[in-house]
Amino acid sequence: MSIFEKLLKIDRKIIFIVMAVLVLFPLLKPLGLGVSSGPRAKAVFDAVDAIPPGKTLLISVDFDPASMPELYPMLVALMRHAFARDVKVLLCGLWITGAGLADKAITEIPPEYGKRYGEDVVYLGWKAGVDAVILGMGENIKNVFPVDYYGHPLDSLLMMQEVTRLKDIPFMVAISAGTPGFADWLLYAQSRYGMRVAAGVTAVSAADAYPYLQSGQLTGLLAGMKGAAEYEVLIQRNNYSKAYMPAVAAMDSQSLAHIVIMVLVIIGNLAFFATRRKRR
Amino acid sequence: MRRTLPLAICLGMGIVMMCQFFIPHPVSVSFYDLTTKWIRIVSAFALVLGVGSLILYHIDRLQRKRTGWGYSIVTLVALVITALIGLIWGVKPGSPLQEVLFKNILVPLNSSMFAILAFYMASAAYRAFRARTKEAALLLIAAFVVMIGMVPVGAAIWGKLPELAEWVLSVPNMAAKRGILFGVALGAIATSLKVILGIERGWLGGGKG
Repeated sequence: MSIFEKLLKIDRKIIFIVMAVLVLFPLLKPLGLGVSSGPRAKAVFDAVDAIPPGKTLLISVDFDPASMPELYPMLVALMRHAFARDVKVLLCGLWITGAGLADKAITEIPPEYGKRYGEDVVYLGWKAGVDAVILGMGENIKNVFPVDYYGHPLDSLLMMQEVTRLKDIPFMVAISAGTPGFADWLLYAQSRYGMRVAAGVTAVSAADAYPYLQSGQLTGLLAGMKGAAEYEVLIQRNNYSKAYMPAVAAMDSQSLAHIVIMVLVIIGNLAFFATRRKRR
Repeated sequence: MRRTLPLAICLGMGIVMMCQFFIPHPVSVSFYDLTTKWIRIVSAFALVLGVGSLILYHIDRLQRKRTGWGYSIVTLVALVITALIGLIWGVKPGSPLQEVLFKNILVPLNSSMFAILAFYMASAAYRAFRARTKEAALLLIAAFVVMIGMVPVGAAIWGKLPELAEWVLSVPNMAAKRGILFGVALGAIATSLKVILGIERGWLGGGKG
């Protein structure tokens, strides 16, 4: 068996071990490759930065634990940015599996900035009927969510006295892992109620969001772990947060993982073409 | 009558809602508000259909002893246990459904499934991604540019790589995506019209009219 034939039959266990080692290594010993912020993430940052203090940022938590490594850092970074500027945060979700994740963020982030539930942050929870929920929120949020995720009547929450419908919210970010997600917010909140929408998506969904960026329907885009890392860098650079940056830390691993896949594809192709004549 | 009445409701509501979109009068707006409430109530009934369909499918697999029928038992047991826990102790934060099922079972399982993808993707790409044709080679090059340009190491290799990756996403990708989106949108309009006008009747299900 020639070297190329051997290269064509690498045992997948070896591939898995190489992958595991190269993903784990940078997590234990960071390479410090550094992350620079791109224009898409900067657009989201600038839009959040332009929200007047006391006004509200809406974040839709449309993802599940599977997408958590890519999208949860975005949620946390956005909340930190908003709280650092005294912007109120309203959370809701189109994915039932995202409910627990939003609750986790509500528990962790507001105390860092001395923010109180009901005054500075509210979590509406999840309701069935994607388009009806968004359209209903455009008319009257209390009709759709009479009580919040924790069972408090919306009328009893101080923050919700100023926020009655989508028109009262200057900007929103839909953090979505698929369908339903940012496209639904564009379709109903943006087109019908003129809401400014940005999206945070998984890396594989980024290509789907680009047409909406060029048309101006999306204000900005956080694409995958890189988008989350860029946002973390932006809020750190502007002294809004000094917290640990999980997405930045994971970027070294992602870099090596991408290189492993590319090297494997090159090896596979070289071996394939070198042995093709022999097979014929 | 069983078919005529739903078709008539569909036709009537379809036309009314199309007109409503362009009429900002308070009567029109309050009617729209009412219908969004109806939609939310009706969409909750989809759960009944979904659960029913899931149970019937897995019972059929068990009865016929199809390959992997053991997993059907796991699915049905998980469905019953989850539903019972939710019904008995509720779904609020701190409930067993949130603390045990979601935080300690669903989150680790879901995360593990997604993490395993990286390993399978690496293995599958090595085995299957072959530049057999010019188109495949072009796809391979584009994939490499985007993959390396979207991570910090890309900028470390060559400063222009992130810009090149951005260009691939912003120009060729967008042209293709836009074409697909227009196609999908026109298809959705055509299908909607067919449903409203009663040409497409698949949603009525089987049975005699």
